[in-house]
Amino acid sequence: MMHEKKVQFLINHQPYQVEIEPRKLLSDVIREDCFLTGTHVGCEHGVCGACTVIIDGKLARSCLIYGVQMAGREIETIESIGTSSKLSRFQQAMHEEHGLQCGFCTAGIVMTIEALLRETPQPTDLEIQDALSGNLCRCTGYQNILKAIQKAILPAAESI
Amino acid sequence: MKSSEIHQQVGKKLLRKEDVRFLTGHGKYIDDIQITNCWHAAFIRSPHAHAKINGIDASAALELDGVMGVYTGHDLVKLTTSLKMAPPIDGLKPVEMTTLPIDKVLFQGDLVACVIAKNRYLAEDAIDLIDVQYIPLSPVTSLAHAQEPNAPLVIEGLKTNLLSHQFNQTGDVDLCEKQAFKVIHSTFSQHRQTHLPMETRGCIAIWDEGSQHLNFHVGTQAPHPYRTQLANRLNLTESQVTIHSPDIGGAFGQKIVLYREELTVAALAKFLNHAIRWREDRLENLVGSSQAREDYCTTKVSVNAQGKILSLDFQILEDFGAYSFYPGNYLARVVAMILTGPYKIANYRYDVKVFLTNKVGNAPMRAPMSVTSWVMEGTMDAIARELGLDPVAVRKINLVSKEEMPYVMPTGEILSDVTPLETLDGALDAIDYAGFSARKKQSFERNKYRGIGICNVIESTTYGSAFYKAAGIPGSGHEAVWIRIEPTGVINASVGLGPSGQGYETAFSQVIAEGLGVAPSQIRILMGNSDIAPYGMGSRGARGGTAGGGAFFLCALQAHQKLMRIAAHLLNITRVEDLKMIDGVVHRLKDGDFAPTQISLRQLSQIAYFEPTRLPPNEMPGLEFHLTYDPPPMTYSNSTHICELEIDPSTGALTIDRYVVAEDCGTVLNPQIVEGQQHGAIAMGISGVLLEEVIYDTNGQNITGTLADYLIATCGDLPKIEILHMNTPNQKTPLGIKGMAEGGVMGAIGAVMNAANSALSDLNIQVNQQPLSPMYLRRLIRQAT
Repeated sequence: MMHEKKVQFLINHQPYQVEIEPRKLLSDVIREDCFLTGTHVGCEHGVCGACTVIIDGKLARSCLIYGVQMAGREIETIESIGTSSKLSRFQQAMHEEHGLQCGFCTAGIVMTIEALLRETPQPTDLEIQDALSGNLCRCTGYQNILKAIQKAILPAAESI
Repeated sequence: MKSSEIHQQVGKKLLRKEDVRFLTGHGKYIDDIQITNCWHAAFIRSPHAHAKINGIDASAALELDGVMGVYTGHDLVKLTTSLKMAPPIDGLKPVEMTTLPIDKVLFQGDLVACVIAKNRYLAEDAIDLIDVQYIPLSPVTSLAHAQEPNAPLVIEGLKTNLLSHQFNQTGDVDLCEKQAFKVIHSTFSQHRQTHLPMETRGCIAIWDEGSQHLNFHVGTQAPHPYRTQLANRLNLTESQVTIHSPDIGGAFGQKIVLYREELTVAALAKFLNHAIRWREDRLENLVGSSQAREDYCTTKVSVNAQGKILSLDFQILEDFGAYSFYPGNYLARVVAMILTGPYKIANYRYDVKVFLTNKVGNAPMRAPMSVTSWVMEGTMDAIARELGLDPVAVRKINLVSKEEMPYVMPTGEILSDVTPLETLDGALDAIDYAGFSARKKQSFERNKYRGIGICNVIESTTYGSAFYKAAGIPGSGHEAVWIRIEPTGVINASVGLGPSGQGYETAFSQVIAEGLGVAPSQIRILMGNSDIAPYGMGSRGARGGTAGGGAFFLCALQAHQKLMRIAAHLLNITRVEDLKMIDGVVHRLKDGDFAPTQISLRQLSQIAYFEPTRLPPNEMPGLEFHLTYDPPPMTYSNSTHICELEIDPSTGALTIDRYVVAEDCGTVLNPQIVEGQQHGAIAMGISGVLLEEVIYDTNGQNITGTLADYLIATCGDLPKIEILHMNTPNQKTPLGIKGMAEGGVMGAIGAVMNAANSALSDLNIQVNQQPLSPMYLRRLIRQAT
């Protein structure tokens, strides 16, 4: 409590200024100081992928980064992907293919695949497997998530 | 005929109502609930597997700014009662545990004290400053060790580590063995695993001093039994406690009973009159929540020359860990009761022993009876191997046929409306069983051993009260629902189940829609709040569909009847049975067809609430319905799993080539949700067989405390699962629902283990223990070649 630092950054294009201890994990800062609870914490040691966010365009595990490292950075969380009335293409595919059950790991999976499809609009099966292999899901057995990813891939001509 | 062809709503693929909030980050799990000015709890856990607590010095921690208190077992004794696990069951020893240990810790990770601080970081700082003096004791770390005559005692008062022992015999097993063509012995060793929900445990306790009421937020599969336990242990009445169970990030059996951490948080919130929350971290979840499985089974089967079974002798030993959150016989005895599954076995003897060890206590994990099908199907394969017969032929001469049902199993369980021969034939056909030997040869040419494994599953999905009584398990198997049609004709409904990903909000709206004749979009299902939902038994086993869905359907029919009585009165007709609601409009039978009338559900609702004088004589105002339903003693669904895999003898690597399942789970409420449950259950089974293992070393240290050590399947580890749907309705349950969701675990374990055995059969290797790690397989291959 004694050593709080003022840090400014953007989350989902909105400016945030928080006073946080240097040891506070980014996942906790996003959830507790910025009140964005869509990003979930599943293991706090970087294995499960539930806390995945995008920082300056790159995927990151928010439980392996400190909040103070975010000064001047731009973060994207699940709250920026789609809306309740208009899901993103991948979110819609997850809905249609039953790619989620309890929903706890879902935010991390959506962030991972949104980033994959931005960078590699037509990923190969191996690239998909490689991307998704860092996200643990205990409910679905992944089969329907893989189907949803296939469904969300735009035909080559449409993606520019 | 498919469910969707007979029914209007049931059996249709309806996209899940739950999805949008989860996909957009708007789910509400425990940690997402914001409570201002809430303190945090953290627990000091034992570094020893077995030790006396000789003193706790918290003075340095208490000096830390922001630390509000440190509380030990002595403090909690004053605030709570202990848990006595002593149901009147033959052969089960009574045990008792305090809320926090007082004198002795019983496993590495056991609770020692609780820190309350202004935030979680501070609470964890305080833990480092607390000095606990331990006197280490020798731990009991394996089943074999627990049985040694001079083994240390986990609970001294019991004078033994044997917690529970039951046995029974039907017929004369010894006589059969004397007269048999052959008696075949097999062993099956299943390793320790843990549930691993992606959301760990956690809770928030808010004591309202003014109304003397506890609001307790916790993700639980069984909100009402949980409330009963919590109120009891706090010396409160059930009307002084409300359970709020929000979205649950997976449970799999880990979130049923009241845990000691949760009780501690509730007691301290009341004592300190301040909101307190606790979030378990993953290390705590892996070393201190609950674990499962770890059993050692033997079968002795006597057969004639054709492989027909004359008798079966079964022994199971279970490593139950140190604490009884459930009666010791709870898991293993059910395995013994349903072991014979779809096979005709008249002479059967079982012996079930459950031992205490210095490990985390066991809890039912998705398919608590998971080992059952592997044991039975591994025994069938052993018969085929010993007699030189085809494994399919051995199964077929022992399988109960349609004509022989209802079939009374040797334990008295009644098997009906299951189709094991049909699922077996379906799966054999789908995998091209006849072509296996050619594929095996091709694999061999590539220096790979190919195997095929068959596993027939009889899944006990829904336990009625009569089964519990017969099995010596306390409790009821009924479920409770209410349906309220509101004045505008929209519908609120509630059930006592606690959802954790099963899609109840969707599937149950389909059931109610079916019974009422309205659209599922008009129906909202409320769950998890113990004041709103009726007292039900919660989500366990695979009872949601049959017990919850069945209760909802019966309740919807009751509501429909009242609506039609009102409509008949308004239309001035006497034959109520000629009226039916379709799409929210009352229809009347005319010339063999239902034609719409002018009366809508909305109009009926308005009259029921606001113009009760227009109701038929003796009809009460309002449209509120409540119903409880106790399902038959046991409902079964069945399936056949067949897996084909290759083992690389040079590395021990195992690759599943194909995985087929033919499943008959009766009337399906929503085929997409059912398929999702099949995928998930099979994935958990395969993951358990190939990767997962809780490992305790000889000092009782859990060396699998991170997700880099306790491995679960990732997307590249699992095969594509091919599903054949079969739907024979159950004759005794509403809508013919059977339930499902655990059988996949049972079938996957058996199919993969049998396939590995088949692959290595040319080397005369018998694979009889899990997990099938490359190291284990390599060792077997090395020894054989």
